[in-house]
Amino acid sequence: MTNRRRWEVLAASALWLCATLIMAGIMAGMMAEVMAEVMAGQNRAPATPAAAPQVPAVVPAAAPVDPVEAYKEDVHQQSGVTCASCHGAGAPGPIARTRIASLCASCHSNPVYMRTFRPQVRTDQHSQYLTSVHGQQMAKGETRVATCSDCHNAHGVRPVKDARSPVAPVNVAQTCARCHGDGNRMTPFGRDPAVYDDWSHSVHAAALLQRGDTSAPTCSTCHGSHGATPPGIDSVANICSTCHVREAELYQSSTKRVAFELAEQPACLTCHSNHKIVHPQDAWIDLKEPALCATCHTDDMAGAALIRTVRTGFDTLTTKFDAAKALLDRAEEAGMLVDDGRSALREATEQRVRLRVAVHAFAEAPFKESLDLGVAAADRAQQAADAAMKELNFRRRGLALATLVILGFLLTLAVKIRRLPPPTSP
Amino acid sequence: MARTRDWLAERLPLDAIQAAIDHKTVPQHRHSFWYYLGGMTLFFFGVQVATGILLLLYYRPSATEAYDSVQFIMTRVPFGWLIRSIHSWSANLMVGAAFVHLFSVLFLKAYRKPRELTWISGMLLLFITMGFGFTGYLLPWNELAFFATRVGTDIPGAIPWVGDAIVTFLRGGPQVSGATLTRFYGIHVAVLPAMTTVLLGLHLVLVQYHGMSVPPSVEAQAARTGRPVPSMPFVPHFALRDLFGWMVALALLAGLSSYLPWELGVKADLFAAAPAGIRPEWYFLWTFQALKVMPGHVLGIEGELVAIGALSLGAIAIIVLPFLDPNTARSRRIVNWFATVAALFMVAMTMWSLMGGAE
Repeated sequence: MTNRRRWEVLAASALWLCATLIMAGIMAGMMAEVMAEVMAGQNRAPATPAAAPQVPAVVPAAAPVDPVEAYKEDVHQQSGVTCASCHGAGAPGPIARTRIASLCASCHSNPVYMRTFRPQVRTDQHSQYLTSVHGQQMAKGETRVATCSDCHNAHGVRPVKDARSPVAPVNVAQTCARCHGDGNRMTPFGRDPAVYDDWSHSVHAAALLQRGDTSAPTCSTCHGSHGATPPGIDSVANICSTCHVREAELYQSSTKRVAFELAEQPACLTCHSNHKIVHPQDAWIDLKEPALCATCHTDDMAGAALIRTVRTGFDTLTTKFDAAKALLDRAEEAGMLVDDGRSALREATEQRVRLRVAVHAFAEAPFKESLDLGVAAADRAQQAADAAMKELNFRRRGLALATLVILGFLLTLAVKIRRLPPPTSP
Repeated sequence: MARTRDWLAERLPLDAIQAAIDHKTVPQHRHSFWYYLGGMTLFFFGVQVATGILLLLYYRPSATEAYDSVQFIMTRVPFGWLIRSIHSWSANLMVGAAFVHLFSVLFLKAYRKPRELTWISGMLLLFITMGFGFTGYLLPWNELAFFATRVGTDIPGAIPWVGDAIVTFLRGGPQVSGATLTRFYGIHVAVLPAMTTVLLGLHLVLVQYHGMSVPPSVEAQAARTGRPVPSMPFVPHFALRDLFGWMVALALLAGLSSYLPWELGVKADLFAAAPAGIRPEWYFLWTFQALKVMPGHVLGIEGELVAIGALSLGAIAIIVLPFLDPNTARSRRIVNWFATVAALFMVAMTMWSLMGGAE
């Protein structure tokens, strides 16, 4: 092969390589766009129900313990309390269940004595216990109900802050479920043994057990611990408002509260249930089954217009939010920086949360305020996404143009090289 | 035009330069392709200088402003995204081209007498290029670069007696901080460019002075056949082909920068825990992996120290290679063996690291 011919082949190969690289780049870009579209489509797909929290399905019974061994780590042992302090002098024997609470109270209800251990310690546990269903039943001689040692242990008592304690926040539900999740124990009292199972499928259980959020409610948060009793209809909203402050404020000042009280509906529980509290869905608000509002409201009722307004508001914001997010995702996938859009989207998300809270006013004004702010934020996100896509297209057109110029120059070079006189040997 | 040339010719040795260009030739044989790698590396270096100067106009070298200034360049400055992406892509392609250039020179034995100084200046330029990469990597002050720099600057700490002092010198303090950033910035835009100017000037002058090296196999063939090695004029034959390659590289840079713009990442947080998957730039991966898989102790000596020692010895050996190789057929075979094993080791370690080796 002559040198001239060799260089022709080389030039042709380089051109071919260049064209292939550019084509591959363009194809990769197109593929990325298609993939982004597909992913965005997947993101738009209806959300599947959240998986149930992973909690122990079978509640373990309290394991039998060796009293002497267990007492070695007991908080009382560390405070100098001896066997005789509870069991009296002589060989220790079992203490009657009806006596246990009063025995514990002999110290724990004595502020002067308890202050010597911890200055801010509570001393009202026994008086609360006496008001509880457990305490009242025990006072009647019903020894199958819970007393101090059933929850705190008899000889291995640990502080509540100790994660190994059966009454530590993450363990409370399982401790209660030893009895309240047991059908054999609950049926004689006419109690539902499904409460633990219901709670374990709630958002509260997910927060506490999966995310480790110890501020999330467990049994004692709503029912009380020592004074455990089912909350009445009148107090439900107060209990929920302990955490859900804004929702409770809006509900208390709404006309719905009056309507629910007249209808003897249990406030928050009417829509959210009690133990199996799942994540609220925007779809609950509608006049068509299976929406929650449709359980009581029909098209021709007074609140129908408001329900339609709220429904439309949610749909508007969700549509705008999803469209902006999908476009921002596409722009970001294509390598664009879309921080402004993401910031606006975060604001829209925040307003959507406020919107869901505002529903509890059962009125248009607070809802509309958040809706307007949310829609404005989603619009800003959309504008940022549009600008990013416009810039992206500009870059691609620029690349195409630059590539054409370079290709033209390469062709000229190839022709020039081909026309060069053959190099002479020295 | 002619008057301008005459005016310049009275003041500059234009005729001598013209005569040198007219007479300069490049050998033409089956390995001639590798002659273009040096020019390709030079092209990427030129791109780095041009884009680096443009980035300097907006970049702010402080821990509080660096990330935001790069983000500003990427989002607000007209064509800032393109300049920064080209700078990052070109840096990587330059390192790649430099490594290929190194191995091509090594296998073609172009370091032989009288080109020892060309080889040494080239090796030093390669180390400086890697220094550019290492210091430039930190400048956007993102999470990945911050932690990778922390790992990278920790390595010399294993050296006895002077290790801690080297770490402190590199970081400008005991930890990677804003002081490290300004230090790296100074090295990246002043110290290394100054060293490069001198060494690159020397390297190019030596290349022009000695001309292209003809591989021993081609020389032997010419001696056997009694026919001289063919050559082509540097201008325009070789220069136009060089230009052709540069234009292909430019198209590649434009495509990569437009379709795969260099990521900015998350702003570095000095108090955050190191995220998973911290890795240096690809050209340091083989060193990183070699240090990672080194046993804790080798013959009673700390493993990391052994690895650093071996790498340093290897670096010194390759710099002084022209003086170690007596240039016999046997020594050339040995060098080829060593070079092949070294290249395979680097590729294997890099692949191992990319696959998450021994995490």
